[in-house]
Amino acid sequence: MMKLLNTLLKKELVDAIRDKRSVMAVMYYAIGSPLLMCGIFFMLINKFSSPSDLNITIKKSQNAPDLVRYLESRGITHGTGEDLKAITLTISHDFAKDMNQGKPATVTLIADNSEQKLKSSINRVQRALQGYSSEMASLRLIARGINPAVVQPIKVVMEDQATKQSKGSFIFGVAILSIIYAVFICGMNHAIDTSAGERERNSLTLLLSHPLSTRQIVLSKVLAVTTLAMTGLLLTLLVSKAAYTIVPWQELGFTINVSFEFVVLGCLLALPIAIMASTLQLFVSFFAKSFKEAQTYISFTLFVPMMLSIATSYDLAPDTLQWLPVSGQQQALMDFIKGKAIDMAPLMASNLITLLLSIGLILGMEKALKSEKTIFGL
Amino acid sequence: MQLWMLKSARLMKVNKSQWAALLFIGLVQSALSVAAQANLTNTTGEQSSCYLKGLSEKVLCGMVTVPENPNKPNARNIDIHYAILPAIKNQHPSEAFVAIAGGPGQSAIDNAAGFNRTFSKIRETRDILLIDQRGTGRSNILNCEFDNIDALAFNDETVDNQKETQKCLSDLSKKADVTQYSSDIAVSDFEAVRKALGYQKFHLYGISYGSRMAQLYMRHYTQSLATVTLDGVVPMQQSVLAIGEAIDRSVELLFQDCRQSKACDQAFPELKRDYLTTSKRLHDQPYQGKVNDPSTGEPTHLLLTKSKFLGTIRMGLYSSNIRSLLPYAIHQANKGNYQSILGLYSITQSGLDLAMGMHASVVCGEDLPRLTPELKAKADASYFGRSLLQVIEQTCPVWNMPAVKASFSHAIDSAIPTLLLSGELDPATPPSWGHLAEEKLTHAKHFIAPYATHGVALQSCGNKLVAQLVNEGNVDKLDDKCLKKDLRRSFYLNASSVEPLPAKAKE
Amino acid sequence: MIEVKHLSKRIGDVQALDDLSFKALNGQITGLLGPNGAGKTTCLRTLFGLLQPDDGVAEIDGIDVRKDPIAAKQQLGLFPDPFGLYERLTPREYISYFAELSGLSKAQAKDATERAIQMLKLDDIADRRCKGFSQGQRMKTALAQAIVHQPTNVILDEPTRGLDVMSTRLLRSNLQQLKEQGHCVLFSSHVMQEVAALCDQVIVMAKGKVVAVGSPEKLCEMAGETSLEEAFIKLIGSDEGIAA
Repeated sequence: MMKLLNTLLKKELVDAIRDKRSVMAVMYYAIGSPLLMCGIFFMLINKFSSPSDLNITIKKSQNAPDLVRYLESRGITHGTGEDLKAITLTISHDFAKDMNQGKPATVTLIADNSEQKLKSSINRVQRALQGYSSEMASLRLIARGINPAVVQPIKVVMEDQATKQSKGSFIFGVAILSIIYAVFICGMNHAIDTSAGERERNSLTLLLSHPLSTRQIVLSKVLAVTTLAMTGLLLTLLVSKAAYTIVPWQELGFTINVSFEFVVLGCLLALPIAIMASTLQLFVSFFAKSFKEAQTYISFTLFVPMMLSIATSYDLAPDTLQWLPVSGQQQALMDFIKGKAIDMAPLMASNLITLLLSIGLILGMEKALKSEKTIFGL
Repeated sequence: MQLWMLKSARLMKVNKSQWAALLFIGLVQSALSVAAQANLTNTTGEQSSCYLKGLSEKVLCGMVTVPENPNKPNARNIDIHYAILPAIKNQHPSEAFVAIAGGPGQSAIDNAAGFNRTFSKIRETRDILLIDQRGTGRSNILNCEFDNIDALAFNDETVDNQKETQKCLSDLSKKADVTQYSSDIAVSDFEAVRKALGYQKFHLYGISYGSRMAQLYMRHYTQSLATVTLDGVVPMQQSVLAIGEAIDRSVELLFQDCRQSKACDQAFPELKRDYLTTSKRLHDQPYQGKVNDPSTGEPTHLLLTKSKFLGTIRMGLYSSNIRSLLPYAIHQANKGNYQSILGLYSITQSGLDLAMGMHASVVCGEDLPRLTPELKAKADASYFGRSLLQVIEQTCPVWNMPAVKASFSHAIDSAIPTLLLSGELDPATPPSWGHLAEEKLTHAKHFIAPYATHGVALQSCGNKLVAQLVNEGNVDKLDDKCLKKDLRRSFYLNASSVEPLPAKAKE
Repeated sequence: MIEVKHLSKRIGDVQALDDLSFKALNGQITGLLGPNGAGKTTCLRTLFGLLQPDDGVAEIDGIDVRKDPIAAKQQLGLFPDPFGLYERLTPREYISYFAELSGLSKAQAKDATERAIQMLKLDDIADRRCKGFSQGQRMKTALAQAIVHQPTNVILDEPTRGLDVMSTRLLRSNLQQLKEQGHCVLFSSHVMQEVAALCDQVIVMAKGKVVAVGSPEKLCEMAGETSLEEAFIKLIGSDEGIAA
């Protein structure tokens, strides 16, 4: 039994390695996806951080020269040219008059708050204006012989439980999603090739005509596809480990570091997912009439784990998702990154469900390979 | 958010060394007695996560145990506490940026929030390490407990300094040998922390008195340093008791600035005269009157002495935003309205948290012994210098610190890339002091920020220059252009506004 | 020896096998002759257990395929139609892979593969990948696969389809060789000449039934015709689906 399985597996792997498409699928994903993620993160960082020198339009600045200088000391200046942001600050005509009478003096901030790219810059201008206002409030109180502390009745001391990693948990969720997805993408081509492809090339009947059990055949194929998926995952992890160091995370105030421990844990937790992905893809392909049809069916099945994974990244319904395949393991990985203790019960349940699902699919395939309909694609 | 300025005003004062505290011996007890011992329980050598004042995030705290007296390693041990603000993306794990607080007597760890904000760029790639120097903060703090007194009503000019000092010393002798709290010994603690944490190189930033610590570090452990920034420089050649001259200069610059500002000059045309007459009047007869307590609002009694008045002005000169209120406050005081002075006085009361015992150990061992007759004559010529010296001369005989050797005053001779920062308006460490420190530094640049007060990195773009120095490892490309940008704040023309009415401005 | 007894199989609306019984003996070449749709392929698939008969028994060397498929199949070699080569493997890898699957140990498989390569004169292409092989090269590889483990019984499904003259001759001589070695060779065909030239025994099939069994000469005799072709048409009752 083992000897035959070994022979079958060896052949499957040799076949896969020599298949340009299968190898390309692994390489493209393992190298491409971390680089693509890095590119996206670079863009995000650019988009979310306000430039160190923020150029806006300041109208009637002669009405409040001190305020203008204060803003300038915080890097917000009246400017022109390309990097001018669509933010306009207009100082009211009565600014000085209201100030002198101790009344609130008006400044008008004109900007489109729904524009994502401007958000951080708008916030920054608002914060600076608030800062100026607070400073002035305090000095006005001092000038009247009052300690400004009296208008801060409550001092909120925030003790943030977040760790360096958990601050970037959403981004990390997306990164983990892209890494876990490797097990779905990297084995896919071989899964189709070795099932629908094998039938299309007429070698399936030949194989079945040999003194083997269908279980041996199914297991060898599952193992081969899983091996490819795991190889892809490991490569993706290693490339991510290298690539993520280039991203200037510090500008977002946190860092994403693919540690050695994370690589090991990632491989361990992704193994059941890889097995399930392989069995699912083989199962679907065995029922497809051709290579092309199998590709179409598999792209439908990719949708489900993708949704589970995205939902986990967005932290939607974590209480339910942590028990399910894919999302359960992803949740555990995210907890690990955040430095939280991994909740073992849901993780084990999720692994168990994943493996049971795989076993079910394997049994289904065994049955299918004994059925005339499947063998001859009737 | 609303009280941003309050916080910033406090921070600035806290962050900056205040030799002024000397003047306040016997005056700021109520504030000082609050200074709490560390609430951290920690075992030697281990690090744990902790929260620091003003920082919402978790950072690392730990300590290193050293003998209090290096010559008696088996006698009393003290714990030197430190805090690490971990790098966001640690690209230089073998290096740390070390910010040394002023005072002497300030806790670096208590000022973590300010250092964190100022040096955020550096923290992106390097750990920031804050060490509570021995005798400060969490490291066997030497603070003096005094009876609570009413800061508004009591007469600071009649305090018996000698008695208060004696009481403080006898309290402290239970837990410390105050003679072991000199700068030189403290530097070896810093080096012990460096070794314990496994950093190969430090980038030092010393502000005010911290600049003396940084220079001593350069002298004793050259190999351990990558770069040094001295901000608000106290040169080794200089006894800090020359500060009186610097304060006078800074006050004079305030008058000058007001005269040069059209609106200020119009509003307060005789500012210097107002200042002098008020001082004289209070000298002859301190003001006594009913006021509402600035904090509680309760009617209370105020005794405003000349010393309180001038001390308040002096403290106001430290931060540029409070400085902008001074001409108005002086002018009003001269008219007999002391509300603004009262408000300013009250915030100086809450901002001080110096470890006065440690402060005395440093000043009595390192500064008073170096007071030459010539320097004494100079000090006596200034009101600030004179009154400061008076307090110190009463305090130090009690403290009985061994004097530093003559070699202590030698200029630092070093090739370590060093950036020196001075603020033109600095009421404590004038630019001329920075020039002195530069004398034998072969790879140094000295920048004078024309509109900065004490602590250039904390205002203006000084922090960016420090970050550039740390990243590039040399001073070659540093450029002071950004320091020269005129971002001065306008003076308050009344209790509400800095902007003159348009009609008046057109005249 | 291959024996089927009363095999019946319905596929859809068609009665593909209808109480089919015959025997193929060792040391003989048996031809399964019939027009397209006669049930030849269905019969062969049933022998390999790929199809389950509705009724009847298929035995390989006396082993019921249904009861012990593994043991039965170990005594079988299949030359399929189409060949089912793995294009990314070399003939050597391909042949030894199936040798191992048929129960040989690694070392045995290696030797057996070498033997098969020698026998079929595959040396020059043995270590090239199968992709791009000519039809003749493919046939030889497939045949080597079928006989590598020296099965008692070799089954060939339409072996000469698409082969050129040279390849056909080569195949014939190889089959003769197998027969001389005492194997039981069973092949299906709808080509008369081939059957006439090779077979010791011909089983004529039509509509899932055995129409006639015997040597080519005997069949001619039975039908009272001189050529097998005429005899064949007469036996199956039409000339439908017959290639010359």
